[in-house]
Parts: sequence; structure tokens; C-alpha cells
Amino acid sequence: MDGSLALEIPQIFPEIALSVFGIAILLLDTFLPKSKRHAATGIALAAIALTAVFTLGLVGEDGTFFSGMIVVDGFSIFLRITFLVVGALTVLASSSYATRENLAVGEFQALVLFAIVGMNLMAASNELIMIFLGLETLSIASYILLGIKRSDAKSNEAALKYFLLGSFSSAFMLYGIALAYGATRTTNLEAIGREIAAGSAGMTLIYVAVGLLFVGFGFKVAVVPFHVWTPDVYEGAPTPISAFMSVGPKAAGFAVLVRVLMVAFPAAYAKWLGLVWLSAVLTMFVGNCVALVQSNIKRMLAYSSIAHAGYILVAVATRNQEGVAALLFYTLTYALMNIGAFTIVSLVSRQGDRKTYLDDYAGLGFKQPGLAAALSIFLLSLAGIPLTAGFAGKFFIFRAALESKFVWLAIIGVLNSAISVYYYLRVIVVMYMKEAPDDWSPVAMSSSAIAVIALSVLGILQFGIFPDMLISLARSSVIGYR
Amino acid sequence: MPHSILTLITFLPAGGAALLLFWPRTGASAIRNIAMGVSLLTLLLSLPLFPAFDTSNPGMQFEQSAAWIPSLGIRYHVGIDGISLFLVLLTTVLTPVAILSSWKSIQTKVREYHLFMLLLETGMIGVFVALDFFLFYVFWEVMLVPMYFLIGVWGGQRRIYAAVKFFLYTMVGSVLMLLAIIALYLLNGATTFDFPAILESLHQGNLILSPGQQHWLFLAFFFAFAIKVPLFPLHTWLPDAHVEAPTAGSVVLAGVLLKMGTYGIVRFCLPLFPEATREFTPFISLLAVVGIIYGALVAMVQTDIKKLVAYSSVSHLGFVVLGIFALNEQGLHGAMYQMLNHGISTGALFLLVGMLYDRRHTRLIDEFGGLADPLPVFSAIFMIVALSSIGLPMLNGFVGEFLILLGAFDADRTYAVIAASGVILSAVYMLWVYQRVVFGQVTNPRNRRLLDLDFREKLVLLPLVVLIFWMGIYSESFLRKMDGSVSQVLQHFRSSAVVMKH
Amino acid sequence: MRNYFPLLLMFVVVAATVGAIIVLSAVLGPKRRGKVKDSPFECGFQPFQLPTDRFFVRFYLIAMLFILFDIEVVFLFPWAVVFKALGWAGFWSIFIFIFVLGAGYVYAWRKGAFQWE
Repeated sequence: MDGSLALEIPQIFPEIALSVFGIAILLLDTFLPKSKRHAATGIALAAIALTAVFTLGLVGEDGTFFSGMIVVDGFSIFLRITFLVVGALTVLASSSYATRENLAVGEFQALVLFAIVGMNLMAASNELIMIFLGLETLSIASYILLGIKRSDAKSNEAALKYFLLGSFSSAFMLYGIALAYGATRTTNLEAIGREIAAGSAGMTLIYVAVGLLFVGFGFKVAVVPFHVWTPDVYEGAPTPISAFMSVGPKAAGFAVLVRVLMVAFPAAYAKWLGLVWLSAVLTMFVGNCVALVQSNIKRMLAYSSIAHAGYILVAVATRNQEGVAALLFYTLTYALMNIGAFTIVSLVSRQGDRKTYLDDYAGLGFKQPGLAAALSIFLLSLAGIPLTAGFAGKFFIFRAALESKFVWLAIIGVLNSAISVYYYLRVIVVMYMKEAPDDWSPVAMSSSAIAVIALSVLGILQFGIFPDMLISLARSSVIGYR
Repeated sequence: MPHSILTLITFLPAGGAALLLFWPRTGASAIRNIAMGVSLLTLLLSLPLFPAFDTSNPGMQFEQSAAWIPSLGIRYHVGIDGISLFLVLLTTVLTPVAILSSWKSIQTKVREYHLFMLLLETGMIGVFVALDFFLFYVFWEVMLVPMYFLIGVWGGQRRIYAAVKFFLYTMVGSVLMLLAIIALYLLNGATTFDFPAILESLHQGNLILSPGQQHWLFLAFFFAFAIKVPLFPLHTWLPDAHVEAPTAGSVVLAGVLLKMGTYGIVRFCLPLFPEATREFTPFISLLAVVGIIYGALVAMVQTDIKKLVAYSSVSHLGFVVLGIFALNEQGLHGAMYQMLNHGISTGALFLLVGMLYDRRHTRLIDEFGGLADPLPVFSAIFMIVALSSIGLPMLNGFVGEFLILLGAFDADRTYAVIAASGVILSAVYMLWVYQRVVFGQVTNPRNRRLLDLDFREKLVLLPLVVLIFWMGIYSESFLRKMDGSVSQVLQHFRSSAVVMKH
Repeated sequence: MRNYFPLLLMFVVVAATVGAIIVLSAVLGPKRRGKVKDSPFECGFQPFQLPTDRFFVRFYLIAMLFILFDIEVVFLFPWAVVFKALGWAGFWSIFIFIFVLGAGYVYAWRKGAFQWE
């Protein structure tokens, strides 16, 4: 390490800040008396705020650092901010949840911070090994978060399933990385691209590597046919973590997928396009059609998140700036609506996460109108009804798809979003059109959960009615992106 | 006329809805008064549009345009011409009528009911005034939500089924329209969603659609509109939605929502895709004629009055579509006029059925008979409305049907003749149901002690009856205002068709 | 490839020899079985539980902690070898590494991971 490397440290200040605060929370938690441990939430939020400042400080500092391992560009900054938003909402949502379920708040928040570190590294890496390290940092944090309810069998099942399949998919990815390295003698994405363009790499190896990498990422972002773990894991996980899992790692996985496919393997476009196309169509259909018959709302949201991964894959398939900008817009707005929805699900499910069935929502519409209205907004946004961010996002994606002449993908996409309306409406039907049971007990609210819900609703309406700012931002973030 | 009059009319009801959102839920009568007041104020604001509308200008009037989402070329652009003027007025007239009609029958969740009614009004007016494709689509979709709740929460036995079916049918159609809108925008250079601008570049030859493109874009648009009309065989959501909706919902549904489909066809399909319109005209006219006959026949065998009225709508809207696709002055005038007629007469019919239902909690024809005795005023108004629906001269329905048949005869004699027999069928089912309900002896003892219409109910029906006569006797006052815009649609249509041929 | 051939040959010969010894002694050796001879030897006692039984979970914990904190040596040795060449940058890098590890140690200690009871 020489002096110039030390100068590059500010480029990873966001990740350093998060790690330091994460460790501080862990230690502090063990020294504080039990009654003061909820301070972890405040510290975690402060850490995220500080990290946001550091991240925004990187604007305009474009370039690659640490011998080309870390890249700073609009894309990575936009994503880092997305992850921070996801993290902040998760921290807020889980603070009251952890209190209700008697979980260790400190460890919870520290792990969320570590997970953000992993996602940030993924978004900012320009190199296959770094990507893998980021991914593992994220994965290990999420294994523990999923199983943090140690005495709950379902939570254990979720953690174990995700652990087994996660390691399995990591193996695929590593194999892909190894083959790419074998074919090009480098793990740097741009260098791989150059080697392939120069014709000095064996294309068969490259194709196999791309396929294996796609399988690996496919597991992480839950696209068909690598989605089977999703419903079990989301159902069994602590609800704020289901929310986190459905948006954070998904966004990170897609970010890396796009970067790898577009920077390292543009030459293999004709090959991977088929994979992405087919997977997008299958993902949309399977996600939406299976969601139709779910009676557990967490499973329904799990299948819905599979379907949304399908829409995002449409954006990946376009392979142009507009599509990547749409992907950025979509992942951020999707995070808002899904975290919002899961937060309400976690409130309604009461202590022990027991009431997660559709029938448990009967009559909520007129018993607790504010809560039900918020959930309706989240669901309508997920369904893509205009004036919500969900519509703006879909509009942006399908616009990009049509612009790149993917007419069939667009048609299949919009038909799927019409299918999805059915199961989102079903929840609204139950809330507003069924009577509450006689033994109905009010849903306990907490100020932090209300904050999450209010922020998400505001964000959805803001980006739904006046999406201009965010669209421009997303577009300017991908300038220069191939 | 203030510059932003249309914006004011459109969003005033939404403002009322926002007020209701924060109003304490307990004051039911205050809530009704607020909703009524807001919708009346909207009506009052919209009425001056009628005299202020410049008949000599066939283009858009009272326009307002502002940047909305500039990065995607989306503007907030509103305006009306002779085609949308009356549909806006129809909406502002029918909404207070609908709210007043549910004064007594809606006793649960009063605040939410009126909130959705007002939101619905904003959505409906928005659809008719929007001139930006994106804005149009937003109103088109958003309006589904309050209607869905109105049917699903305050509807009849099978309300949930009907509400979901209504939503899904419309949704499937409209998502394809969304793609067509985006495609049109991209083909036009991805700069604007503004409808007049796109139309202009089409006429200037800057935007040239190949026959294949026209073909598919037309189908995508038309499918969305045809579901809404509803054109046979896409009509199956309509009887369910109509029957299960609360009375006010049915009035608005029949009166305004169905017109969105036909409005969309006239506004977008004809001028944008003239070649494709010609291509599909025989097929669509056939479906329209089938719809006329089918709707009438099915209406005839109904045992439920509300269902009968619902199927009669299928038949009447078939006339409207036939008139549009006659593609000549008379046909289009007639179609436009018949849209208004149907809104008023069918709205009135649903109100009358609702009033019967409030009294007896049944709508089965067999339960009634001889109502002329206990309910003289009701029976008289029912007579007027039924005759208007049949198309008796001097009443509004006659003018529309006559013009449509005239136009259709010019376009295709066979269809015109078959459609004319539909007029006879409509007389059959309407008079027959009237006879069974109103004439004869009071067969059911429970009908003997029914009370006649009270002041509120008369007040509800009064504006509609006045319109029925006014539009029947002095149709010129309405047709004159439409004339310029209707001719312009046809002129656009013909000139584009000529350009395409070369 | 040629360079590796003797190595391969050696593997083959070793495997063959070892295999042959095991198989041959099992086949050719004299066998006198009996009840006492077949029972597992346990310091003269009768066996009172199955050898595959579960044992106390804390052993796992200790083992894991041992590995965690032991593995750092793997990084310390190479660092120590080139200590001079790396200079201060190397020193601070390894300092941060040990600091993070120390934080983990404190955490484990405060959480009571080292307490047997």
C-alpha cells in the first residue's frame, strides 16, 4: 500500500462509516443496561445519515480506485443512496418490531448496517472478486437476520433455507468468476470487456461463465427458475427482514447483474439476451399466477416480489441507458412500496407474527382507516395504478422496452401487471368489503412504524405524481453507461 | 371565463373529497351537505361553459397547458371542443343528481361514500378534458378506483365479484392502450404525449404510420374503448356491475362511464388511424348491430328490472357505435347526441328502479303490477323516461336514433335495416316491462300502501325530465354546438385518409 | 505435462501399495472373533452409551471461537515476514484488522460466550 492508495480511502468512506458504526453499536449494546439498548436505532439512523453525506460528497468524483477495484459513478451513487433509504426504513421499521418480539435491537441494527456495507460494495465494485466479497458480506448478514428469532422454527427454517441455497448459488457464481478469469486472465470488468473485444478470449468459456453468473445472480434476485426459496424465506423471516430481503439484496443483485452484463460481457449480448428474455417472461408469469392463489399475505408479497423481479429483468434486457435508468427508478420506488406494505403486514400480524392471513385483514378498512388507506396505496402502487410511483416505474420500463423494440416483452409485461391487479385488489376487498370479526382487536401502532409508513406514502405519491425529478436524476446517473 | 376554468371544474370535486377526508365521520348530514354543495358548485361553474362556448371554433377551447413531467415530454393539457363539452356537462349534471338520489339509501360509511363519489367526478371530468395522452390515461385508470369501491362496498349481494370483474376488464383493455400510447409517442420522435401535437405532426406528414402500425395501434386503442362501451362480445362485465352497484353508482356508470369508450373512439381512433378505421369498419359495425339485437333480446327476457335496463344499455350503445362507424355527418352527430340521451334516460331509469327498490327491496318484475294506482307520479315519470328510451318523437331519444339510422343507411343499408328492427325490439321490452309493472290491478298486497315520490325524489328526477323534453324539442341548441367539432373530426379523417392513399 | 508424470506415478504406486497391504491383511490375516473381542474397548467398563451420541453444544461454540480467533495467525505470519517492506501502511492495516478482531472478542466476552455455565 503506497501513499496514493491512502488518498483513495475517501472513496469508500460511506462503507467505512457504516462498518465503524456497526461495530460501535455491537459493543455499546453489550455495555448498556437493557433499558437503554434501543439507543441502537438512533445510532444506526445517525450512521446512515452520515453515510448519506459521505456518499453525496462523492458526486462528481467519477473514476476507478484501488487499482480498478472500486468505481465511483452516478450509477453506484444512486444505488448507494437507494440502499441507504432501504436501510433507514428497515432500521426504523425493525426498532418497534424488535421490541415487540423481544429481539436484541442492537444486533439487529448492526447487522442491517453490515448488510448495507455489502450492498454498497456490490454496487461500487468494478471487479468480480470485489463483487463476490460484497455479496458474501451481504449474505452472511442476511443469514443471521433471517434467523434472528432463534426460538421460532419458521425463522430458523427461513435462515437455513436461504443459507443452503445462498451458498449453493455463491458456488455457481464463483465457478462463473473462475471461468471468466480463466478465459481472460483478469477479474476486472472493463478488462474482461476489452479482452473479449480483442478476441483473445475463448468464447465458449465466456458463454458458460455468463450462464453460471446469471444462475448465481438469479438466485439472489429470485427470478424463475431460481425463485423457489423466496416464499418460504419471506414467510418465515421476521417481517421487517422480509421487507428488507425483498428490496435491498434484489436491487443490489440487479445492479451487479446489469454492470457485469453490460460492462464485461456486451460481446455475449446475443447469448445472454435469450436467457434474460426467457427468464423475464417466466418470472412475470410464475410470480403473478402463483400469487393469485395465496392466502398468506407474506407469501403473496413474496410471489409479487418475484413478479416485480420480472419487470426489472425487462429493463435489463433493453441493455440501453434508458433501461438502466428505469431500473434505478424502479428499484428505489419499489423499495418504498414494498417496505411500506411489509411494515403494515408486520403491524397487523400482532405479536409472534401470527396474523398474516388474508382473513386477518377483514374490516380493517373502516376500523383503522388510516392504516388501511396506506396499505391500499402501497398495493395500488404495486399494481401500477397511475398517480403512484409504481405506475411511473412501470411506465418508464415499458417505454424503454418499446424504444428498444421489445414489443412482446412489453405486451407480456403489461398483461401481467393486469393479472397482478387481481391479487392486490383481493387484499383491498377483504379490508373494505368484509366485516371485521367479533373478536377484533385493534392493531397497535408505534411511532417508528408510522414514520416508515408516512415516509413511504409520501415518497410514492411524490414520485408518482411528480416523477420528473427522480427520472432526470436516474437518467443523469447513467450517462456514459454502455 | 378565467383561464383555468377547466382545471377548477375538474379538481373542485377532488378538493371536496379532501375536505371530507378530514371531516369527522359522525356528522352524516353535514357530509351529505358538503358533497352536494361541492357537486352543485361544480355544476354552477360548468354551466357557463355552454353559452361561452364559441360555436364557430371547431378546435379546442378553454385550453390550459403546463409542463408536468418534462423529462418524458408529458404536459398538463386540458381543453374541450364540441364533442367533450356536453360530456363534461353531462357529468356535472348527473353527479349532484346521483348524490341526491342516495340521500336516504346510503346510511353506512357515509363519509367514504361521498368521498368516492366526488373523486369519481374528478376522474370522469378529467377523462373528457385531458388532451395529453398521459394525462388522459391517468384519469382513465384512476377513475376505476372510486368506482370499484362504490360497487364493492355499497353494492348488492354479489358486489365483490362485480367490482373485481369491472376493474379487471377495464384494466386488461387499458394496459394495451398504454403500450399503444407509448408506441405512438416513440414513433413521433419521443418528444411529446400531447394529443393535438401528435395529430398535427400526423397531418403535417412528420409522423407517418405504416399500415401495419396503424392496424395494431388502432386495435390496442379500440380494444380498451370497446370494453368500456361495452361492445358485444366484451359486454359481460356490464350487467354484473350495473346490477350490483348502488343506484347512484349505476346512474354514473351508465350515464358517464360508458360514454368514455365511445368518446375515446371519436376523439382518438378516428382522427389518428383513419386507414385502420376504414379497414375495421365493417367488422365493428357488425358487432355493433349484433350488440343492438342481442342486448334487446336479452333485455326482453329479464325478470329483474335493473338487469333489463343494463342490457338495454348494451343495445343503445350498439347504436352509438354504429353511428360513429357510419363515418358521416349524420351518423356521428347522432352518435354524439345519443350518448347524451342515453346518459339522461338510462340514468333516469336507474333512478326509478332505485326508488322502487328503496320501497320494496326487490327489483323483480313479478313482484310489481298496477303501480299506477298507488304511485301516480312515479308512473307518469316512468312513462316519459321509457318513451324517451324507446325514441318517441318529441323526446330526446328520437333525435339521436333517427340521425344514427340516417347515417347508417347511407353507409350500409343492411345494417341500418337490422338496427332499425332493434328500435322496435326496444319498444317491445320497454313497453312490456312498463305494462307489467304499472298497469293492471295491484296484484301484490304489499304494493297497495306504497308512498308516492317525495319532494327529494321529484327534485332528483326533475332536471332529467326537463332535459328529456328540451333535447327532444329543441335539439338544435345542442347540435349547433357540436357541429363544428364533429365536422372537423370527419374532415381530419377524410383528409388523412386521402394522404394515406397517395 | 511430462514433468508431472513421475509425480503421478508415485501417487499410483503409493495408492496401490497401501491398498494392497490393507486388503491383503484383511483377507489373509487369522481371525478369532468372540463377544468380548467384538465389543468396543472403554477402559474396562461395559459400554453405557452409543459412541455416536450427541455431545454438549458448548463444545461447538468453543471450537468455533477458537477457529475464529486462531485463524488470524494465518494473516499475521505473512505480514510479519515482510514487516519492514510494508512499512507504516502495513502496520496500520494490520492494526485495523486486529482492532476489528478485538471488537469481536470483546463482543463475544460481553455476551458471555466464554462462560461455561
